[in-house]
Amino acid sequence: MRDGERATITRRTFLRRSTALATAGALGPLLPRGARAQDSIVYVNTWGGSWTAAEEAAYFKPFTAKTGIQVRTVAPVSFAKLKAQVQTGNYEWDVSVINAIELGQAEREGLLEPIDDSIVKKESLWPGAVWTQGIATVALSTGLTYRKDKTAGAGPRSWADFWNVKRFPGTRSLYNRGYTALAYALLADGVPADKLYPLDVERGFRKLNEIKPHIKVWWTQGSQSQQLIRDGEVDMIAMWNARATELADQKVPVEFVWNQAERHDSYWFVPKGTPRAKNAWRFVQFAIQPQPQAEFCRRLSYGPLNPKAFDFIPPEQARRMPTYPEHAKVGFVHDPTWLTPNLAMVKERFAQWLAT
Amino acid sequence: MAGDLAVGARPAAAAAGARRRVDLTGWVLLAPACLFLVLVFVLPLAQILVLSVTEPATSLAHYRRVFGSPLYLRVLATTFETSLVVTVVCLLLAYPLAYVMARRGGAVAGTLLAVIGVSFWTSFLVRTYAWMVILGSNGPVAALALALGLGSPPQLLFTTFASTLGMTHILLPYMVVALYGVMKNIDVTQLRAAASLGAPPLAAFRHVFLPLSLPGVVNGCLLVFALCLGFYVTPVLLGSPRDMMISQLIAQQVEELLAWGFASALAVVLLVATVAVMVVYDRVAGLDRLWG
Repeated sequence: MRDGERATITRRTFLRRSTALATAGALGPLLPRGARAQDSIVYVNTWGGSWTAAEEAAYFKPFTAKTGIQVRTVAPVSFAKLKAQVQTGNYEWDVSVINAIELGQAEREGLLEPIDDSIVKKESLWPGAVWTQGIATVALSTGLTYRKDKTAGAGPRSWADFWNVKRFPGTRSLYNRGYTALAYALLADGVPADKLYPLDVERGFRKLNEIKPHIKVWWTQGSQSQQLIRDGEVDMIAMWNARATELADQKVPVEFVWNQAERHDSYWFVPKGTPRAKNAWRFVQFAIQPQPQAEFCRRLSYGPLNPKAFDFIPPEQARRMPTYPEHAKVGFVHDPTWLTPNLAMVKERFAQWLAT
Repeated sequence: MAGDLAVGARPAAAAAGARRRVDLTGWVLLAPACLFLVLVFVLPLAQILVLSVTEPATSLAHYRRVFGSPLYLRVLATTFETSLVVTVVCLLLAYPLAYVMARRGGAVAGTLLAVIGVSFWTSFLVRTYAWMVILGSNGPVAALALALGLGSPPQLLFTTFASTLGMTHILLPYMVVALYGVMKNIDVTQLRAAASLGAPPLAAFRHVFLPLSLPGVVNGCLLVFALCLGFYVTPVLLGSPRDMMISQLIAQQVEELLAWGFASALAVVLLVATVAVMVVYDRVAGLDRLWG
């Protein structure tokens, strides 16, 4: 009886273990990287292309040289993957960049690893460097860009000019993002940049109704915005400053208007629970220093958020950046404390407004 | 399908015992495939269903929101309408093409298949951007219209026309291959037999070739329609905002708002609507034709 019982258990155990072994053997190569011990590696989530190339030169190489920690990249940046990673505990990457509004959402969902004070000294950072559990890195602006060869006189200078189809006739395009369009509309309607929030959604849509028939296309992808203005499909567009600069460098007659440009600051953050959080914060602590930020921004015309970075940027390059003091003064930023909790409502109303 | 069930119910009880053993062997052979389907298809689908009523809290609030807002039902209707139009246009274009390929065979079929293959293997994003250039106000279509003295053509890009054209182009290869696969196996001697019995070519086509090619039609339409339901990048890039497809809203909920519960509810509504369409389609076209 006892023997029989033991035999049964042994056979069961054997079966269970052999199945587990076979499964592990078969799935081994598919197991997430977090399941294997890796002490001196950090996985950085990146956009790919020229963004990753600039990161490679400005951050990854000097960071590895200084700390011995290897950097591996995973592209592209995916906000949804952050949630999936934290929910499943399978970490494909340990550090990434998102804007303040997304950072607020991630905070609300409990997806952020708290800043490691032993590595990142918050009190030593510049004012405004910290938002929820993220550390500011670089800024990108979306602003009025127009074809100089298709526009009479001095060209449009504000969103009120963009709305003025009599004085500035021509085809137009805007970014397909509700809160951006609403902010432009309110500015065009005379709301001062520092009084934008809380967003007057009703007034914004009323003003948007005026321009709707003149918007030939609501673009969704950066490359699309470039094609639209390069091929002359539209004469005026709201586009990213780095994309506009790239076109100007290719001798396309475009001008980017810094006045009332929408600035988005991006933040380094670490997904909650990643086993390589320490390495990730060490990476962040390195990347937010003035010199690496300057190196990165010089390559892509993004704006450094560490003010000291400008000490390492020649003035003619600094003038192409969203955080160059002259530009920062005339631009505007969104208020994530209002926008994050209202984002779903704004998106739904905007989609409905567009579809009808 | 209804016919099959009736046939299955008919045999006498005596035969049922013998048949059951055969059925069992079938199930054993099917088990690995079933297990795979359960793991990668049924379980995730069940998870989506559960998410739609449990995240962030257990309620039917997501469904109330879908049916309470004019946006989602409208976009859902647009999605089905667009898919239907694209499927019909694909069928009308692909049928003669596949017919020529199947009847002529040899170099003609090979060349046409290669052309379709090259189009098929080109990234759909590249093909979409190509249409943006072709239909653009400074593109070749506009230039040709000007050269012919027709004046500048009406706005082509960012219209429903452009969106439908782009999706048709991308999905056409599926339809051609589905039709060609069936048509090339149609025995030509049957057509000759019809002719020898006095049928003029058109009648032979109508009474012999067309019915024999129907499995390909049913299959191709199903494939194109289902694929089209999930499209959104092409309509966004080529169409007007009114051409928005439901997957765009689902992707937005997943990727930008992290609202997986609501996204799941939208996905479930899309799935149920699709199944409903398939049931109607089955009644009209008969999905059992798929098996020839």
